[in-house]
Amino acid sequence: MGSHSATALSVRCAKTGDNKFLKIVAGLSQLCGWAAAAMVVVAVAITCQMIFVRFVLNQSTVWQTEMVIYLVITATLIGLPYVQYLRGHVNVDLVPLMLGRRARYYMAIFTLSVSALMIAVMLYYGAEYWHIAYSKNWKSDTVWGVRLWIPYLAIPVGLGLLLLQLIADLVGVILKIEAPFGLEED
Amino acid sequence: MDPILLGLIVAITTIIVLFSGVSVAIGLLVVSAGFLLVFDGVRSLELMPEILFGKLNNFALLAIPMFILMGASISSTRAGADLYEALERWLTRVPGGLVISNLGACALFAAMSGSSPATCAAIGKMGIPEMRKRGYPDGVAAGSIAAGGTLGILIPPSVTMIVYGIATETSIGRLFLSGVFPGLLLVGLFMAWSLYATWKSGDQRLLTAGNYSWREKFEILPRVLPFLIIILGVLYAMYGGVATPSETAAVGALMCLVIAMVIYRLWNPRDIWVVLRDSTRESVMILFIIAAAGVFSYMLSSLFITQSIAAWIGTLEVNRWVLMGAINIFLLIAGFFLPPVAVILMAAPILLPIITTAGFDPIWFAVILTINMEIGLISPPVGLNLYVINGIAPDISLKTILTGSLPYVACMVLAIIIISIFPGIATWLPEYVMGVQR
Repeated sequence: MGSHSATALSVRCAKTGDNKFLKIVAGLSQLCGWAAAAMVVVAVAITCQMIFVRFVLNQSTVWQTEMVIYLVITATLIGLPYVQYLRGHVNVDLVPLMLGRRARYYMAIFTLSVSALMIAVMLYYGAEYWHIAYSKNWKSDTVWGVRLWIPYLAIPVGLGLLLLQLIADLVGVILKIEAPFGLEED
Repeated sequence: MDPILLGLIVAITTIIVLFSGVSVAIGLLVVSAGFLLVFDGVRSLELMPEILFGKLNNFALLAIPMFILMGASISSTRAGADLYEALERWLTRVPGGLVISNLGACALFAAMSGSSPATCAAIGKMGIPEMRKRGYPDGVAAGSIAAGGTLGILIPPSVTMIVYGIATETSIGRLFLSGVFPGLLLVGLFMAWSLYATWKSGDQRLLTAGNYSWREKFEILPRVLPFLIIILGVLYAMYGGVATPSETAAVGALMCLVIAMVIYRLWNPRDIWVVLRDSTRESVMILFIIAAAGVFSYMLSSLFITQSIAAWIGTLEVNRWVLMGAINIFLLIAGFFLPPVAVILMAAPILLPIITTAGFDPIWFAVILTINMEIGLISPPVGLNLYVINGIAPDISLKTILTGSLPYVACMVLAIIIISIFPGIATWLPEYVMGVQR
């Protein structure tokens, strides 16, 4: 259940072996991680700028609050595949730990398949939702009036890449490149 | 179907799904989708991405990645070791000064980093070997740090409290303040037990330690003060009404990152990336659970489960303290298996109406809930802090760490009882600073 920070450069992540598909997906997920981290940093900077404008220059702010919220939402959704790659989404691994080798293997295939299916369903409806916002040209009801398809784009993109990483994890387990639930044999 | 029975089925299904080893966030989505599909039809699934996005569309949530980034910047430095050394030099004449300075350093570092395992690692790396070298019992050395580390989620600024505030729509400012005195109470209880256990172990000389010159005492202060001043500044800005928690967190994150770079020479891009990577991983994990829990609580209320449970509890003729006891046991068990954030997000929509119907204060309850979660952090099977201690002091057996931690669990249970008898310990400060609610 490792979910917390330890200042080490090496960290648990998806194993790719020599498999090209797994390597490409891992690369994509890492790219997402950099993008997400950069967006959080930009959000920090914009929030500080907003405070400066409001309290030091005594002016009102127009776009900052909304921009920062969308940045963090996008960072979260785009960060999903990266955190999956880092095995950072917490789970309860008590039962998998108690299972035998074979049962654990099939259990991992089962849970990863269900997860992938779930995210595929979300992706389908998420893409539909994005498309409605795009075709009807929805705008946010603020002064700034952002075209909503832009922030909503993070839903299909983030979920799509998460689906890809989940499929890669499933392939990794089936091909026995990755231990089921990341639990190495004792 | 009767919503209460349905609620029970949802609860059992959720437990089964989560124990399968699926990640908490996706597990919540699976359960929500399943019940929505069966009771509201396929069309209801359409709403899930919209709710997911909508749940994240909240300025208050910003405080989470910002405070995590702030904590990760501090944790990446030697600040923990410096803090520990400073307290040790200043408290050397106090009986049992070493274990007291360890617990004090834990409490302060917990406030700065907001993370329990990070606190254990930062203070324990220095503190545990030093305590053992001076002959403190292994159990006290390991247990005091494991327990001291759990203070991270109670003492402000605490990410756990922010999550509770968002899940229950309670003022984050009040929640932060409510954790202060209970945190101090816990530190006091931990210290009392540590001193007693050390005294009982027989070697009275342990309770006095070495000497430091005034020069040594003062030269360490400049290394410790910057982060402490920022934390106090962040809290002051929040309560002075200057800015919201999210805004102050952003300024705090920026300042801590800059200090880490300037004072602690965090120049190497790889080191900076580690800070960003760790904080991104933690933030995304928590925010995804928040979004998924939003879908889960939508499902609960769309099937009238939340409302029915609250109404049902209202008609029950149970003593409200019996009810509170049952809730505590439920939280304890949940905390044994799940990280605090997940427990709060899943339990809050169901527990909050129960709590308020029974006449409990949600701010007070936040403290009780958090202490329950702290117990989970030092209890098997998950007990994250135990494994952190095991990692930094591999020659102390897990059994010794475990038995050493048990008395501190008793201290936490005692604290829950004391705070139940004297709720003012939690509620006085927020009311004093921010006025009585409503």
